[in-house]
Amino acid sequence: MANQAPNKAQERLSQVADHMSGGGSASKKGKSSLLEKHADDVVVTCALRTPFTKGGKGGFKDTQASDLLHGAFKALLERSKIDPNLVQDIAVGAVLAPGGGATEFRAAALAAGFPVTTATKSLNRQCSSGLQACVDIANAIKSGMIEIGIGAGAESMSTQYGPNAVSEFSELLESHKESANCKVPMGVLSEQMAKAKGIPRSEQDAFAASSFQKAIAAQKAGLFDEELAPLTVKWTDPKTDEEKTITVAKDDGVRDGITPESLAKIRPAFAKDGSIHAGNASQISDGAAAVLLMKRSTAQRLGQPILGKFVQASIVGVPPLLMGVGPAAAIPPVLEKTGLNKDDVDIWEINEAFASQCLYCIKELGIDEKKVNPKGGAIAFGHPLGVTGARQVSTLLTELRRMKKQIGVTSMCIGTGMGMAAVWVAE
Amino acid sequence: MLEFRTQGYNGYSVKYSPFFDSRIAVAASANFGLVGNGRLYILGLTANGIVAEKWFDTQDSLFDSTWSEAHENQILTAGGDGSVKLFDITLNQFPVQSWQEHAREVFSVHWNLVSKDNFISSSWDGTIKVWSPNASASIMTLPTHSCTYSAAFSPHNPSILSSVSSDSHLRVFDLRTPASASNHLTMNVPIHTPSKPRMGAAAPVGVAPSEALTHDWNKYRDSIIATAGVDRLIRTFDIRMPNHGPIAVLPGHEYAVRKVSWSPHLSDILLSASYDMTARVWTDGSAMGVDNMKQENMLDDPMFHGGGREMGKMGRHTEFVTGVDWCLFGAEGWCASTGWDERVLVWDCRAIMQ
Repeated sequence: MANQAPNKAQERLSQVADHMSGGGSASKKGKSSLLEKHADDVVVTCALRTPFTKGGKGGFKDTQASDLLHGAFKALLERSKIDPNLVQDIAVGAVLAPGGGATEFRAAALAAGFPVTTATKSLNRQCSSGLQACVDIANAIKSGMIEIGIGAGAESMSTQYGPNAVSEFSELLESHKESANCKVPMGVLSEQMAKAKGIPRSEQDAFAASSFQKAIAAQKAGLFDEELAPLTVKWTDPKTDEEKTITVAKDDGVRDGITPESLAKIRPAFAKDGSIHAGNASQISDGAAAVLLMKRSTAQRLGQPILGKFVQASIVGVPPLLMGVGPAAAIPPVLEKTGLNKDDVDIWEINEAFASQCLYCIKELGIDEKKVNPKGGAIAFGHPLGVTGARQVSTLLTELRRMKKQIGVTSMCIGTGMGMAAVWVAE
Repeated sequence: MLEFRTQGYNGYSVKYSPFFDSRIAVAASANFGLVGNGRLYILGLTANGIVAEKWFDTQDSLFDSTWSEAHENQILTAGGDGSVKLFDITLNQFPVQSWQEHAREVFSVHWNLVSKDNFISSSWDGTIKVWSPNASASIMTLPTHSCTYSAAFSPHNPSILSSVSSDSHLRVFDLRTPASASNHLTMNVPIHTPSKPRMGAAAPVGVAPSEALTHDWNKYRDSIIATAGVDRLIRTFDIRMPNHGPIAVLPGHEYAVRKVSWSPHLSDILLSASYDMTARVWTDGSAMGVDNMKQENMLDDPMFHGGGREMGKMGRHTEFVTGVDWCLFGAEGWCASTGWDERVLVWDCRAIMQ
């Protein structure tokens, strides 16, 4: 027929193929469906963090976690221009703060300019607290409990790191093997795991050195500028005991000139014949981060810029002594749930608690090391425990956008034996 | 189970005659309907099995057929070349009438079940056309702006018709409304709207639109329509509350659903045909006494809704099942199915229902 398309057979074939490939809406998955934009997507419209500074000697050594959080909130309100009255809930991940920091964080939110109607909670899922905070807020938005919320993290390891973080184990807990394992120090168990899983020191040092090199390159190129919110704080000079007011604008743990050879000279920290040392483990740091989340429809109504969306998260438990395998256990379920292939993921932000466990997870998952932590990780700029999960969101989304890529995964291992992972899409 | 082979032709639709309990029409196409001829089979159910009483060949693929409700020997076909043809099965070879207005493949034809004096066709060209067998041109064109796989008259009202299309919408047109910018469109229901959240079940979120391939009006409850398509789910809607989401959602098919058909005998039973090579029988859970025991387990899946369930599965086809239809006469479970395996099966679905 004259009015028929010339490649009719081809078009009919692709039509039938579309019928076959379209998944059930209940089970609709995979990269293409992930990239679709729907009004009820939970999106990120602002994600930022304070610089991370070295515990005990860095720029924030004399600043409380709540003050860091206050700084992050102020910057978030300023940058996003969101009306604070519209923010209904704030979740703050924090690990070391006594009482979870619940009182100080609520106070910090009020001081930052949020009205009394904005609720605040703190939560603690160890090293994934920041991610858990974002996921909690995203789920509350998804379910309709709130419309706009902030997932955040705040940690002052300088002021709060120490033996007080865990109360003494009762006889009951001590008498149960797995339960007693929960208090084995992470360095010690990571040392054992590195041995058991056969990750030699040379590989760990090479991985750690590349983290430093990537981070210093990114810092010099200004790749962190977009996510960083400089903060002015009081700081006591340890030499003169003089209190000064300083503005911290960049991560001070990132060092230039680190090579596998220079790391090879450092003495192991946890065992004489060990492989883990200060140079290939995450740094003790202070910092805060905040992520503003809402539905796409809300963002469009308010004219908020959409940086990316939250898709799905997973949480799994692993044996406490194998804490470090967390990402290797948590990532497959989240890929399965979203129907993603590991090759679909453009950037992996896997927390570098220890080079050994991060390397193990990369190998176990069989993912391309080039796609992991392209701007360096916690080994280079620090791991303020409750902040990392929220920090990864800003680090990931800015980098995805810069590289014009889309799909990212953030993940970390969790003390006492867990892993968490989340899938994000940059727009 | 009776069987007939449509050798060299892949089945696309099967329809029982509304006049004779032993007559079935099958619309079939060579080369899976991608390119080549179409063939309309008129089959007779006899003591010696199924026999082909007659067939008509067409230049292009056939995707659907519908028996005339007014004339026992007349039947319409939906053609890949955009034509709608009327055949008289007492004649040989050629159609008695052919209408050529659609710009793309016609995917469905349906005769008005109440007034019996007009019929509709729906097409890939994004339109539904209303025709009279006595007029040489269409009476009316209703745009859907989307590949329309299925259009049907209400079995209860001669002026109400509906369609589903690749834009994931169920449209209802009322021809009594004044012609205006809306082109008689009175309802446009997004099929992918999640069902209302219930206690104890997570709210279904982010259901993406997907192509709707088939729908059917319930023969007893005049506001109930079942739809199905690429997302593998069968849904029922009550057009009295179009914004309420589906009142039942029936998951189970593993690939797209190509055809659904309500039972002419039982108000809660429907039959489906799918690319997963099965035909399945379902209850939508509306009938009295339908087993609600499983309800608790079903709540696990937030998409599952309404207390309906799959009652049985017929897995004898070896390729995509594209058509199913119920026999209007006799015992209440007889039905016919056809598919790309070049076969027509006539079977009693009571044998597989549990």
